[in-house]
Amino acid sequence: MTAMQQATGTRPSWFTRFWAIVRYEMLWNIRKKKFIGVIIVAFVFATLGLVLPSILSSTTGTAITADPNFAITYGATSFGFFLFALATAMNSISSEFESGTIVPLLTKPVSRTMVFLGKLFAAFVIILVSYVILFTYTTVGSIFVYGPQNNLQLVPLVLLGNLISTFIWVSILLAMGSLTKNTIITVLVALGLFLSLFIAIPIVSVFAGPSQSLNYLPGSGAGGSMLVGNTTMTINTGTDNLGVNLVNYVLYPSGNVTFSKIDLSAIQAGQTTLPTTGVLYTEPISLIALRALGVAFAYIFVFLFIAWIALKRSEIME
Amino acid sequence: MDYAIETDNLTKNFGSLTAVNKLNLKVQKNTIHGFLGPNGAGKTTTIKILVGLLKPTSGSVKVLGQEVHVDQADSRLNIGYMPELPRFPKHLKGAELLDVYGRMYGMTQQERAEQIPKLIESVGLKGRENDLIGKYSKGMQQRIGIAQALLNNPELVILDEPSIGLDPVGMVEVRELMKTISKEGVTVFLSSHLLFEVEQICDHVTIINKGSVLASDTLQNISGALGPAMMHIELANLSNEVIAAVKKLPFVSGTWKTGSTLYIQVTTYDDVRAQVSKEVTGAGGVIVGMSQKTSNLEDIFIQLVSKDKGEKPQ
Repeated sequence: MTAMQQATGTRPSWFTRFWAIVRYEMLWNIRKKKFIGVIIVAFVFATLGLVLPSILSSTTGTAITADPNFAITYGATSFGFFLFALATAMNSISSEFESGTIVPLLTKPVSRTMVFLGKLFAAFVIILVSYVILFTYTTVGSIFVYGPQNNLQLVPLVLLGNLISTFIWVSILLAMGSLTKNTIITVLVALGLFLSLFIAIPIVSVFAGPSQSLNYLPGSGAGGSMLVGNTTMTINTGTDNLGVNLVNYVLYPSGNVTFSKIDLSAIQAGQTTLPTTGVLYTEPISLIALRALGVAFAYIFVFLFIAWIALKRSEIME
Repeated sequence: MDYAIETDNLTKNFGSLTAVNKLNLKVQKNTIHGFLGPNGAGKTTTIKILVGLLKPTSGSVKVLGQEVHVDQADSRLNIGYMPELPRFPKHLKGAELLDVYGRMYGMTQQERAEQIPKLIESVGLKGRENDLIGKYSKGMQQRIGIAQALLNNPELVILDEPSIGLDPVGMVEVRELMKTISKEGVTVFLSSHLLFEVEQICDHVTIINKGSVLASDTLQNISGALGPAMMHIELANLSNEVIAAVKKLPFVSGTWKTGSTLYIQVTTYDDVRAQVSKEVTGAGGVIVGMSQKTSNLEDIFIQLVSKDKGEKPQ
């Protein structure tokens, strides 16, 4: 045994301690098998999205149609957001309680708010870096596959939208983890919620039409269409489409989206387009994009607040 | 007097269960203070309140002169704490864990570079510091736990059962380490079930049961309270007649029992086993085993806890 040194010592700054938590969390995330698995899956899907048309065109003998908007309309899917959030945040708080590592951590000179913000920031950085790499990959790939791309300066806006969409699920997972302190319950509740919304929203859309209530749930939202020149674009209003709708708002600031209900009684065999009961209502794209942004921030704020309060008030019994 | 730890009527309830009951604990600075009690006595709950993990139901706590509140980060700057059976993130390497904790204490890169290798060597983990903690044995996790408790060169080190899981060599090394840091002016507050360990290294002792202090003093004063020697007699069947017969002996100052074992406090250093044996046998007792030794902490502990359980001295 060697003699100890004299006491170290000045009071460290808030930022020094916060950054130590970020480092602690990031070291964990980059070594998580789940996270590495999700990154691999994301790259496999992105590659398939890029390469599959080439494979199909070579087998059918038809040339690939050039798509100059591929890069700004190719974002992650709802399930992609959920998977990234799951891999990054599902056990960020709960496993600290389950494994007992919360005890040595909270007996260091760091507050629970620092721990919470450090974990949140680490999740933000990890997802941001993953998305930057993924979007760079798909953007470069889309130029090779679909030819020169328009409006590449808007790719960061799609990325930002996707990041916000992902953070709705990150905040839900952190809140559940902080409340239950149990990873299995956290995952089951979040997965149940995701699947309920994933299944319920299309069913509601078909039977009740593009209800306004769908705009206030996380997910795809209501479905409508926007006429741009001679092309009709499908617009989904929900938080999952935030990135694409922000781009649409920038490109077509005065665009209007019309919403119609599918006329189930008029569907006949062999129809290529679904019959509708006529236009129910119209909304400007600006309202759709900014409302989705507001709804997303409201969810993120509420669930992060729940997560923070639950962690602050926890009694450490482990 | 300056205390490293001072509690005033500290109470902690979990629903209807009172884990800590109006505990008044005083730990002098620059001492090695043993904190003893049977299982469920409230030791770990008390320690968790001291380090700000649990909020007391009532009463107050001062550590190093500062009031302790839950989630008060700065109050832990000069405290090192090792929990009972510590668990650390499995994805970190031993040296990485100390590095990241060192950053939380605000240690500079140079301080970490000097301190971490020394601690790794002190706790016997040299050569294994770059292994993931997930690959550490229970004893190695205990060793890294001790290292992280000493990382910030604290004024106060709180160790909850530091010897659990350590091999005999490791236990000796940890005791030596505690003595070393104590000589350097660090206050050590040690919770342990190993009474011989406490007896070897502590100069002050507090014994608690049911969340309250039963005794708190220097080890010398506590040991002196029982008299020079103790006899343990294990009987096939311990009857009141046997106890009454033993109590008549002039050198017996007190007796108490735990199960079929009779503890006799004697006021002499002479070997009185033959006389006691004669009285016990005469009263119909059948002796299975008998020993006489100088009073130790175990005797005090058993006496105090037995008394507190309602097994009053005879």
